[in-house]
Amino acid sequence: MGRGPGQKGLLPGVPLYIVTIIVLAAALVFSLLAAVTFGTMDLPLSDVYTVLLYRLRHALLGTPFPEAWAPGTAMHDVVWLIRLPRLVLAAAVGMALSVSGVVMQAIVKNPLADPYILGISSGASLGATVAVLLGVGAAFGSNYVGMMSFLGAFGVSMAVITLANIGGRATSVKLLLSGSALSAICSAFSSFIIYLADSDHATTQVVRWTMGSLAAAEWPGNGVMCLMAVGGTLFFLTQFRTLDLMLLGDESAITLGTDLHRWRVLYLVVSSLMVGFAVYSAGVIGFVGLVVPHVTRIFFGTAHKKLVPIAALGGAIFLVWADVLCRTILPGNEMPIGILTSVLGAPVFVFLMARKRYGFGGRE
Amino acid sequence: MEIEAKEIQSVLSGNQILKGVDLKAGRQELLGVIGPNGSGKSTLLKCIYRVLKPTAGAVYLDGTPLEQLSYRKSARQVAVVAQHNYYNFDFCVRDVVLMGRAPHKRPLERDSAEDYRIVAEALETVGMADFADRTFSTLSGGEQQRVILARALAQQTPCLILDEPTNHLDIKFQLQLMDLVRGLNRTVIAAIHDLNIAALYCDRLCAVKDGKIVGEGTPRELLTPEFIRKVYEVDAQVMTGEDGAIHILYHAQGKERTIH
Repeated sequence: MGRGPGQKGLLPGVPLYIVTIIVLAAALVFSLLAAVTFGTMDLPLSDVYTVLLYRLRHALLGTPFPEAWAPGTAMHDVVWLIRLPRLVLAAAVGMALSVSGVVMQAIVKNPLADPYILGISSGASLGATVAVLLGVGAAFGSNYVGMMSFLGAFGVSMAVITLANIGGRATSVKLLLSGSALSAICSAFSSFIIYLADSDHATTQVVRWTMGSLAAAEWPGNGVMCLMAVGGTLFFLTQFRTLDLMLLGDESAITLGTDLHRWRVLYLVVSSLMVGFAVYSAGVIGFVGLVVPHVTRIFFGTAHKKLVPIAALGGAIFLVWADVLCRTILPGNEMPIGILTSVLGAPVFVFLMARKRYGFGGRE
Repeated sequence: MEIEAKEIQSVLSGNQILKGVDLKAGRQELLGVIGPNGSGKSTLLKCIYRVLKPTAGAVYLDGTPLEQLSYRKSARQVAVVAQHNYYNFDFCVRDVVLMGRAPHKRPLERDSAEDYRIVAEALETVGMADFADRTFSTLSGGEQQRVILARALAQQTPCLILDEPTNHLDIKFQLQLMDLVRGLNRTVIAAIHDLNIAALYCDRLCAVKDGKIVGEGTPRELLTPEFIRKVYEVDAQVMTGEDGAIHILYHAQGKERTIH
């Protein structure tokens, strides 16, 4: 008694979930290092790691690169400018989508919520389309496409919640219907704009957004995305108590000292930032925010103290390996990652819907 | 701590539910709120525990108007066991009770060993210590109610509000719960449906009907056959048991009842 939920931990005195977080963090680093060896070009393992080692020494000690491994050589550029940024982006996007999934599920008190299902990704995609093709929002500066994605995501999240709450409490059905209606509207507008724009380059870019792709990853863009993913995750790590209270509902939360209204809007802003920039940098990748939190809940329950960090790391690892699969499943070609996550995620979604008595993590 | 409600009025979707209610619970008093269904009992309690904002009037905690306190502050003064706690979630019992510590926590503060001790103690008090690792949703209604009471105890407040806490409980747990509440020595306001339970445990009763207070006093003063007739429209007999407590016996209404 009294020592908290750690009695069954692997290490005495350390709660199981802390051990899990450490293991997952190590697994994420391992995944990145392992995944970097996969690719369309067959590179010897030792060469891949030699490049990484020289980069590390360069970054830490300022050691200059030897001629054969310097920037500009094929080996260096493939590993450092193509493969690694893409994997880092996958990890950041996976983290952002999982955490925003967790948060949206708490906000709407429904485990079926996910940025993709609620149409928030489509909103972000519309924002990005408008920015790229019509040049709207250029005033936001160099990251204006990302900012427009964020605004699209935020607009749709607010609209879904408002719509679902019309005429009484939001139910799953109303949420899902509002989500798919808004998603349809956003997609229609995006398509319309693409149709009118009739520009080859832009159209490719927009297609990339709607199917999801990590191929455009490069370090400067990754910086912003990592900031959003890690920053957002760290923010929500501090919010575990309020997130828990959200699942109890407004009335109980007030008697426990928290008025949820303000928090809900703040959380929507932060999670829209995460989704907006994730869609801006990697397109619409569905169901990650649904599957990862769900699996985490099965093993660790609903308490957000455990759920947020574990889902964040789990989502990052999941998307890194999903990307590896996408690059290797079709010989000589690459599968859009959004297609893969939908193929994996949609059945989970159907399964959750079919289980009528589904609660947060198990039975009602 | 004293709780006082003055001139509370409440209008919900056009209906005036409360028409100016005054109520006062003194230090460590167990005040029972009785009244028929739809009388406004729950609305009154909700105004006191801030889920509803009264249309007019105000609630005072030791003389301080409730509106001047932050939600966090008032949650450190008043804990609530509400009527419906059918949450659609899978928290374990310990996590549910731990939420009672929320009003004592700063945003970044971690749960301390002290919090876990308080939680364990609260669970012990309600007799649910063995259930700490169980999933809340797998418990029976009565067990859930006791866990919610443990959460309220973990809040460590001088006041407690119970909104029909014994609903859905079998008689053993009704008595257990009320025994427990009486033993806490806190200021308690409880809406109670069962007049016998109210008579058995409350220091004072306050009867609400049609949004107004229609009577106040000790159970013995208040619960007369005439009064019960007036408030509940039933015939009853009030007897004193061997233990000195009063007991209410109801008469079947078969002959007089009109079929609706």
